[in-house]
Amino acid sequence: MRTFIQALSLLLFSTLFVFATYKLPDWLPADIYLRLDPLLGMNAVFAAREIISRALWSLIIIGTTLVIGRFFCAYVCPMGASIDFLDLLFFQKKKRQGMKLETSLRKVKYFLLIIFITAALTGLSLAFLMDPMALLTRFYTFFIYPLAITLINLILDLLRPLFQALGWVNLSHLHYFQSVYYMSAITLLIFGGIILLNRLVPRFWCRYLCPLGAFLSFLSPLGLFKRRVSQECNECLKCQKNCPMGAIAEDPKATHLPECIQCRTCAKVCPQNAITFPASLFLGGEYSEINFSRRGFVYSLAGGLTVGFLATQNPFTLKQSKFQLIRPPGAIPEPEFLRTCIRCGECMKSCLTNTLQPCLWESGFSGLWTPKMDLRLSPCDQNCNVCGKVCPTQAIRSLSLDEKTHAKVGTAVLRKEMCLVWAQNKLCLICDEICPYNAIVFRPVEGYRRPVVIASKCNGCGFCEERCPVKGESAIVVVLDGEIRLKEGSYMKEAKKLQLEFKPDPGDDKYILEESGFKIEEKKKGEEKTIPEEKPQPKKPKGFL
Amino acid sequence: MREHRRTMTRRQFLKTAAAGMALGMTARPEFLDARDEYDLVVISGEPAAATKKALEAIGGISRFLKKGQRVILKPNMSFSRTPEFGATTHPLVVATVAQACIDAGAQQVLILDHTLHRAELSLERTGIREACKNIPGAHVLALQERKFFQEIKIPQGKVLERVEVMKELLDKPVLINIPVAKSHSATGVSLGIKGLMGLIWDRESFHSRYNMNQALADLATVIKPQLTILDATRALTSGGPGGPGEVKKPNLVIAGVDPVAVDSYGVSVVPWYGQNFKGRQVEHLLAAYQRGLGKIDIDQLKIFKERV
Repeated sequence: MRTFIQALSLLLFSTLFVFATYKLPDWLPADIYLRLDPLLGMNAVFAAREIISRALWSLIIIGTTLVIGRFFCAYVCPMGASIDFLDLLFFQKKKRQGMKLETSLRKVKYFLLIIFITAALTGLSLAFLMDPMALLTRFYTFFIYPLAITLINLILDLLRPLFQALGWVNLSHLHYFQSVYYMSAITLLIFGGIILLNRLVPRFWCRYLCPLGAFLSFLSPLGLFKRRVSQECNECLKCQKNCPMGAIAEDPKATHLPECIQCRTCAKVCPQNAITFPASLFLGGEYSEINFSRRGFVYSLAGGLTVGFLATQNPFTLKQSKFQLIRPPGAIPEPEFLRTCIRCGECMKSCLTNTLQPCLWESGFSGLWTPKMDLRLSPCDQNCNVCGKVCPTQAIRSLSLDEKTHAKVGTAVLRKEMCLVWAQNKLCLICDEICPYNAIVFRPVEGYRRPVVIASKCNGCGFCEERCPVKGESAIVVVLDGEIRLKEGSYMKEAKKLQLEFKPDPGDDKYILEESGFKIEEKKKGEEKTIPEEKPQPKKPKGFL
Repeated sequence: MREHRRTMTRRQFLKTAAAGMALGMTARPEFLDARDEYDLVVISGEPAAATKKALEAIGGISRFLKKGQRVILKPNMSFSRTPEFGATTHPLVVATVAQACIDAGAQQVLILDHTLHRAELSLERTGIREACKNIPGAHVLALQERKFFQEIKIPQGKVLERVEVMKELLDKPVLINIPVAKSHSATGVSLGIKGLMGLIWDRESFHSRYNMNQALADLATVIKPQLTILDATRALTSGGPGGPGEVKKPNLVIAGVDPVAVDSYGVSVVPWYGQNFKGRQVEHLLAAYQRGLGKIDIDQLKIFKERV
């Protein structure tokens, strides 16, 4: 029963993850698991110092835990499910000695929780490092998802001859877009490490490390349902050995309530059928105490403050806007963004074009795994606004397509020394061809028509940067200048105020005609004697003789 | 069984042939007209109706394909733009041709392009996938992976020696080019011959490495559509190829076997960037003409015109 619910939850998590992509229906909260997570919610609310409406969903988990106990870990948590299932796969038959430092190790999760909450209070979002929802979503985004696509494409390639022979046209040409990410390897190592720790003791992560589990432990003894052992008990200690959380005390009739996740494994293995989980208002007495020492508390408080200080007070944060880092459209102003973003990676998974990539050190420790746009890799599509839709803390605001178009992320700048047209007089116009907003026009300079960016029409989508045929770095790059970051209010109004216009407007091409330089074309005319009857006419657009 | 093979005397053959021709001529007089006399058919009207009429006037699609053959349609669906932008072929023009091919007994109709914008967005927003979804045997596909392309040689190439084209072109299917009429910031206009670039893998090098106009003419020497149907129901006369730009409505569908003639006529139907041009003034068309790929002077063409 429990395994079934766990599997269902993991399946739901995975399904929502798959749905988090372009064309996500507005009614479907693909980020629901992240919203429900009270640790992420607290982290964002404390760090941003304001109420975040989507984080209020986590009150559901807090409420139900208060009523039922720490059931979340056993039934809902997809990380717990992954750990359990992989445990079955890898370590079921391994003999595992209990941990010697059991009691001190158990405290670690509380210390971590205190460090994360303290850090959040200093304005540093840190819980993402170890929050299970954020960890698992990141693992899915940076590893499972690209891997799945690779495998599917591999299978499609293998079966392609068969599809062709059968005349299945669509399948013969099916190929899924391969998303790729920086930091996939690191993410895999972290997840792999968590699974490997199970070799030592089942659910090592959940017992000793998980800060979300630590938070829920505080509430757990208040829950109604508690393990009760009847007089039938013959003290065989089977329950104690089988408890995945090590929640059963030396006296098998007693339970460490904060650690009990109500999986009821004990009831199942009990040969005497002596174990039940009736509703009870008893708070568990001494077994409910969470005894981390005062010293430990102070140390972790100090640790949180130190990390918070180190990560928030450094040149990166002070000179935020002086580093070249393009954030997704709709990202709230940088300091708030860093405080609010929980680095789940959901935006990067959902990104239609794969332009959203995780930061490593680009904005210091406080910016780890935050999304940036890698426009050389891929542009931002004007028909997609999914990154904001799936952001559980709204560090990227959910915007309508029109609004998103006006959320300018930067401005394209031509690097003339590298541009094929400016530097080599070549006939290239890819940036102009691909620009969705007509922000690139050709103007006569030195007798030759050369591309120029009209900054007020460029919203930094990056199609030009991606498509520029110059090898290596692009000859046209989107820089941070001109970006619009609003915490609230309309981007369209703001853009209007700034006299920006990201709209179809053929006016510029007319301008080209009037001003067009054509000396090169005339020269060509001279060389091509084949059509002497055609006198070169002034003011012709490119391509016409 | 061999000796029982049906034989036909010369007399029988002539009789049958004459009867067939007479029947054909009375049923569809323009059949022979178009086939024998006209270089182009130019039909004015709504997209679907005009396309239908154009196919009829050129002699019926069955003139170009045998039963059971595979047909490739090459519309322009390269941009994720809706039809009113004029950057892509009208979905009804594509669907009408696809349906006609199926009706004429085509085994399969592949509607292909190598799109500039993301594939699924382009197929979706151009409306072409939607328009063709109920036509049995028609498949709208955007091929974006190199594995679907194969290199071929260009024996007559001046600047291009070889080019990677869609594998589907290799086993000699019927190829029908269905471009849209639009301006282009490098080649002046983008019509049928420019549209062939949607069938190759490496589009970028055309811009950066080669003289694009010559490269296009080279490409036209190896990719030869049996029929070109130019969708000039709308014309993006500036801001091309992707738009946004000025969209005019010539309401024309222009069909012909000669790719240069169709394009050349297309150049004449609207002013581009506010100016009138002739086919000869378009560098890549002139280059194609000089390679002997077709006629470029439209006043020497025999043109069938009709309004529907």
